[in-house]
Amino acid sequence: MTALRSHFTGVITHPWFVVALAAGLAFFVMNTTTGTVQILTFILINVIFAQSINVLTGLGGQISLGHAGFFGIGAYCTAVLTRTYGLDMAVSIPLAALLGGAAGYLLSFPAGRVREVYLAMMTLGFGMIFYEVVREWVSVTGGTMGLSGVPSAALRTASILGVPLNQIAYFWVVLVVTLIVVALLSNMTRSHVGRALFAVHHNEVAAGSLGISHASTKRTAYTLSGLLAGLAGAFYAHLVGYLGPESFAVHRSIEVLVISIVGGLGSIAGQIISAAIFTYLPEALQAFAEFQFIVYGVILTFSLIVLPKGIAGLILDPPRFIRPSALAAARARKPELVWNDSVGRVAVKVEGLTKRFGGLTALDDVSLTLKPGNITALIGPNGSGKSTLVNVTCGIYEPTEGRVMLGDTDISGLPDYKVAALGVVRTFQDPRLVPSFTVRENLLLGAHCLGRQSGMAAALALPAAMREEAEFLAEIEAVMELTGLSDFADTAVDSLPYGYRRMAEVARALMARPHTILLDEPAAGLSESEMEMLGGIIRKMKEAGLTIMLIEHHMDFLNDLVDDVVVLDSGQVIYRGDIDGMRKDQAVIAAYLGQEEEEEV
Amino acid sequence: MSFFLSLLLAGISVGSIYALVALGLNLTFLTTRTLNFGHGSIMMICAIVIAYFASLGYAVPLLLIGSLALAVFLGLCVERIARPALRGGGSMGWVVSTLGFGILLQGIAAREFGSQAVAFPAIIFSAADFFIVGGVFVAYQYLVVLVVSIMLILIIELFLRRTRWGHAVRAVSLDAELGVVNGLPVKLIITMSFVCSALLAAVAGILVAQVGGTVDPAFGFNLVLFGFVAAVIGGMGSSVGALVGGLIVGILSKMVAGYVSSAAEHAVAFALLMLMLAIRPQGIFVQPEVNKA
Amino acid sequence: MISNRYNRLTRGALLAGVATLLLAAPATAQQDPIQIGFTTAITGPFNEFGEGYRRGAEIAAEQWNARGGIDGRPVALGMVLDDQLVPDRSVQNMRRILDNPDIAALIAPSGSGPTLAIIDMVEADGRPMCNTQAQTPLIIWPNGLDQPPRRNVFSVSIGNTVEADKLGEALVAGQYNHVGILHESTGYGVTGAEILKSRLEELDPNVTVTVESYNQRAPDMTAQLARAQRAGADVLVVIGLGADLAVIRRNIARLNLAIPLYATAGGVTPPYIEGAGELTIGTRAASSAVMAANPYPAKTQEVLDAYVAKHGRDRWWGPDQNRAQIAIASTMLTGYDCANLLFSAIERAGSTDPDAVIAAMQETRDFPGASIESISFSPEDHDAMTTAGLTVYEMQSTPAGLTLVPRETAN
Repeated sequence: MTALRSHFTGVITHPWFVVALAAGLAFFVMNTTTGTVQILTFILINVIFAQSINVLTGLGGQISLGHAGFFGIGAYCTAVLTRTYGLDMAVSIPLAALLGGAAGYLLSFPAGRVREVYLAMMTLGFGMIFYEVVREWVSVTGGTMGLSGVPSAALRTASILGVPLNQIAYFWVVLVVTLIVVALLSNMTRSHVGRALFAVHHNEVAAGSLGISHASTKRTAYTLSGLLAGLAGAFYAHLVGYLGPESFAVHRSIEVLVISIVGGLGSIAGQIISAAIFTYLPEALQAFAEFQFIVYGVILTFSLIVLPKGIAGLILDPPRFIRPSALAAARARKPELVWNDSVGRVAVKVEGLTKRFGGLTALDDVSLTLKPGNITALIGPNGSGKSTLVNVTCGIYEPTEGRVMLGDTDISGLPDYKVAALGVVRTFQDPRLVPSFTVRENLLLGAHCLGRQSGMAAALALPAAMREEAEFLAEIEAVMELTGLSDFADTAVDSLPYGYRRMAEVARALMARPHTILLDEPAAGLSESEMEMLGGIIRKMKEAGLTIMLIEHHMDFLNDLVDDVVVLDSGQVIYRGDIDGMRKDQAVIAAYLGQEEEEEV
Repeated sequence: MSFFLSLLLAGISVGSIYALVALGLNLTFLTTRTLNFGHGSIMMICAIVIAYFASLGYAVPLLLIGSLALAVFLGLCVERIARPALRGGGSMGWVVSTLGFGILLQGIAAREFGSQAVAFPAIIFSAADFFIVGGVFVAYQYLVVLVVSIMLILIIELFLRRTRWGHAVRAVSLDAELGVVNGLPVKLIITMSFVCSALLAAVAGILVAQVGGTVDPAFGFNLVLFGFVAAVIGGMGSSVGALVGGLIVGILSKMVAGYVSSAAEHAVAFALLMLMLAIRPQGIFVQPEVNKA
Repeated sequence: MISNRYNRLTRGALLAGVATLLLAAPATAQQDPIQIGFTTAITGPFNEFGEGYRRGAEIAAEQWNARGGIDGRPVALGMVLDDQLVPDRSVQNMRRILDNPDIAALIAPSGSGPTLAIIDMVEADGRPMCNTQAQTPLIIWPNGLDQPPRRNVFSVSIGNTVEADKLGEALVAGQYNHVGILHESTGYGVTGAEILKSRLEELDPNVTVTVESYNQRAPDMTAQLARAQRAGADVLVVIGLGADLAVIRRNIARLNLAIPLYATAGGVTPPYIEGAGELTIGTRAASSAVMAANPYPAKTQEVLDAYVAKHGRDRWWGPDQNRAQIAIASTMLTGYDCANLLFSAIERAGSTDPDAVIAAMQETRDFPGASIESISFSPEDHDAMTTAGLTVYEMQSTPAGLTLVPRETAN
């Protein structure tokens, strides 16, 4: 079954298959009824519309119940431009898409503040307001009477660049644009843009630690999604030739969400299949006569019980986020570890740092220096503020007082993704990898902040973007070699044993080429031999000149690794020095003893 | 003055309807963090069976009991249908399943009872029953909705705060996985929340149908949208919030409709929703969740 | 590879099929039915009108076939598709119908939204279409009432214009000073209110008018009523559906607003009558005049009898065993009239050629209809409903219960 599925996936996602299918359709429409051409055009429009949901929800994890708004913005924009101002469709349709994108960009600001159900509500509000505006803004939209006389292929009133379009020609235009959209999206998904979107979807904090700004990533998702929905809406306008507000009510938002979810969120191919099925469905249901509406309800009710991961989950392999061609190019390169240029040259200094949460003081006037090239251990009982210190240093929390210095630069208050981009990278107490990504994909995510290629370059698969991708992939080979992950390169992380996941997170941090790395309990849960391996990796980092901070409880593990030790208790530094001195320090002993006593009680 | 009072009164009346809808939505949100898009259809079907069979001459009290029993059954159905999607986590399948169930109920109602609005029997008061306060006519039917909303809110709040089961529900709402670890009957709690939510839907459906006088298969969906708005403004999951949110939405939209333009009546509710989400997403009555890094 | 072969196979089959049809055409021409087609809301929560007029059209087809068809050819409802009142589906369905060259004539979908969505397409196609229900004048007169109508579109529905005329007459006769119009925020409501307002101002320059809109299915209309009250309205007119009208009437009761209430055809529908019960007493509404006649006009009686024989006294018929509810005129009876008019025009034209059928439709004079007693079209006027086809009814309490009494006889 799995083999069959992989085979099938290989065939239907193969570019040649897609081109052949498109060519077949382009030929087919010349020999069929206009009704069929129209349905096929509707399908293509829904394909683009569903992709718009897929970018936002499937990749970016942001649910929307207001996409009819973007769709309508595109539709009314091109309708007004062509009908009232006599613009050519070749101009008005791109403008409509851009206006949709602009609306998406604007919506991303309020929407970025909320998530999940709240986001669903906010987007619902957006859609409803759009709907009410369309109904009331009579001078532009025609109000409830709608807008007729929009140039339309069905009425033979449409033309593009002066060439009249009949329904067949219009289908060809939409088909070509759909192909371009699908190609660009498929490139984009398998580039740093797609991976970043998915990383933010999965865990915003972890994404931030890799230099991915969740705010700007979401903005990208909204803009792109709005753009695609606007494009779909524009094509819709010129297909139907009449726009009434009822076509842009909440039902259309829900309908496209249904297409997308049942298709399988995240899968481009799944969206296409689902759009085809759901657009054709009413036609097919005519056979059920008086039961049509009921049958439609039954199908929706049970589709996800039968197909928990949508259509794509049943018949297709999970989507991957690296282009095979980039992998092939990487194999031609020599796997090589690359280190940061400023390795061993900048110190991270924490000065008088205080962090309070409400009435609770987690850090109380903490100062310490991570000397370049040194390994500093941060020790302290549970709740002493170790993780908070890492979180403040890395920009997840803003300090209440005090500052964090990187060399001579004050980096306190910088957002996490900027701190990461400056070469200060951390790992988490609980590995925060993207579970459905393979090890290789997760590691490539680590290199996100090093990328210099734009999203556009990636979407167009320009040679420079491909080269950069191959360069990182080659480096990943070396990092996997170092961390013993080579055998699991293409295994999804959620099926890896715990120890390997930890290792993968350290490897991912290395891929960011940091000069300073903060490891939060990297040895927790590791076996004896894994710990040895981790020790080796840390030594290797030190050899390369990295500045390392290590939060750890295993004294044996720390013994022959660390240069300096800092002990925290109740948010205060109670010891600073070497490890031998720490063992004799009364305050430290008291802090730990006190804790043990408490635990015994 | 009486113009203002009339609007205020209408706002409170409509607001308490929204609140009642929001209450039902809140319950399942508390336990599963999802929204039931079939809620409106449950309101509809529970009201329409009463209307239909009452027109055939069946006794209304009997029908009320039957309708509530039907609600329990439907609540169990929704839970069963949404369960796989809930477990998936982030698949958003619940949108499709609950919506599909709503459509199914609409389809059945349209086929069995027709799509034309059916008259709903006056159960306690007729539309013409009112008393006069400060020169303004206060209809008993509206008063019933308000009183029932407040009573239900009191019951729900007491249940959540004072009973062991209530504490369990709140624990599940904070962290269902932890609830499982701690040996709470999480599955049962979720099932019960769907059943109670469906019961609230039935009560809302019956009361609203009474106010409007008719019920038809498309009834409910729009009310649920405003129920969402009320729930978000008050704070998702908070019962007091549902009431306050409902009243704010109701009064504000009536005031705007009265003093500005009746065309803006509905848009203003959604504008308020977006504004609220942008400024204070967690609503009026819910503390912000601590963002754990 | 597989799909290639499939394509070849299907194409082969299609070609073979077409060839057979072409060869067989002359031999079977006598038996080929004359077909009309339509898309409407047959299922789902808005199917009241669609299903009603499908039944009416069915009765018309059966009657024609019982009489031996048109020149020996049977008639048939060739394509009846369901759009559930979703405009996109109407468009898809109508395109499929228009693709079928055997469909000689069309009936419009129920609802203004779906009808507006397909109307340009149908006009471009050129085959005759008859409108049963959609009320906005745009359907017949896209460029204004003083311009020629769409060539191929005819209507028996109660249009906004004629409804406004009838209500305008009644309101002016009632000598009100300030008319408050409440309309639903749909195409029907908005245009209806506009036309009524201008009609009132034309008829009586002293009348002032306040217009308020409400959303369909809103649970409360107090704000609109309070505004009308504040503006000093001494009469209210509601342009909307029966269920919303019931809500409004109940609100009026709650506000204790004692002014007369006029309504469009929604005021004679069961949702209003049952939804507002005793409160409906005194409400006046304009609707089809045929239902006021006692006995019914012959054609109306004939179709109603056929309906009862086929479907019994069901929810389209209404609760009264002896008299059908008035609302049946705008569902089942208009469906019958549309199909009957089209078949008759095809017979008179002697062909299914669109131009010939349209010409025959335009020559329709004093044709006995079921929803309109006498139907006439002309090249300038494609709208059969006139103010004479409407009556203002008033709800009265009689010993037999609530009864809608025509105002003309009541006075």
